[in-house]
Amino acid sequence: MEHLLETIGRNMFAIFGVMALCGAAFMVASKSAVHSVLGFLFAMLCVAGCFLSLEAEFLGMAQILVYAGGIVVLFLFVVMLVELSKFKEKSVFQLQSRYAVVAVLLGAAAFVAIFRNLIFGTPSTEALVLRPELANGLNVAQQNAQAVSRGLFADYLLPFEILSVILLVALVGAVVLAKTERV
Amino acid sequence: MVNLNAVLLISFLLFSIGIIGVLIRRNALVILMCVELMLNAANLNFIAFARHSGSISGQAFALLVMGFAAAEVAVGLALVVALYRKRDTVQVDDINLLKG
Repeated sequence: MEHLLETIGRNMFAIFGVMALCGAAFMVASKSAVHSVLGFLFAMLCVAGCFLSLEAEFLGMAQILVYAGGIVVLFLFVVMLVELSKFKEKSVFQLQSRYAVVAVLLGAAAFVAIFRNLIFGTPSTEALVLRPELANGLNVAQQNAQAVSRGLFADYLLPFEILSVILLVALVGAVVLAKTERV
Repeated sequence: MVNLNAVLLISFLLFSIGIIGVLIRRNALVILMCVELMLNAANLNFIAFARHSGSISGQAFALLVMGFAAAEVAVGLALVVALYRKRDTVQVDDINLLKG
């Protein structure tokens, strides 16, 4: 039992990753838009699990708040707002879908051909650390939120402020686009 | 320590599923969701490289990308609602005004 738990703990990233892939595949394949949203929600929660297993605790929590709490609810609202039942008689996928699938499969084959050694070759015993002196000094796991805040508010303050302006513009734009036209 | 190649593989597969969804689905809502999925795959890469290089910049930028994705979803959904009001459809291949 302990051995099993230990194995699960070591492979937490792979478990969450495969679950996220399953959720994403369900999202693309399901006919009903509400089922698609639920698959999307599942995939996002599993990606948050991946973040947690990569020791990015703050981002994992932010992912759950932003996606499961905000974006999925927004999607559900629009799905309820737009009457999808009248499109039931049409097919789900586009006419040129087989060309698209062939193109994507060709791209995936090219990727595997190029990175064959990286993926299927023997993994290096040591994890790749580009700047080990930083990894030792930072101790990311203990003070993740503190480190993120230092990066966000000290090193990258200008992008952060620009993002806030972008959010404001998007807010105003969304209101203007979605409002009913009255004379 | 998570193997970096595993993270890259998972993120590549997520991105591929997103691209397949954008290319083959006809529902504008599902296409938006697939774009979100692709942004998340990019975020996964950011965080993996931040973890493996010992620098926090990747995580800060992943947070910025997350905010950007929220803005994009707000505008995209407003467009879908406006489209439904004007043309009474959310199927992308019914929107062919520029096709002539």
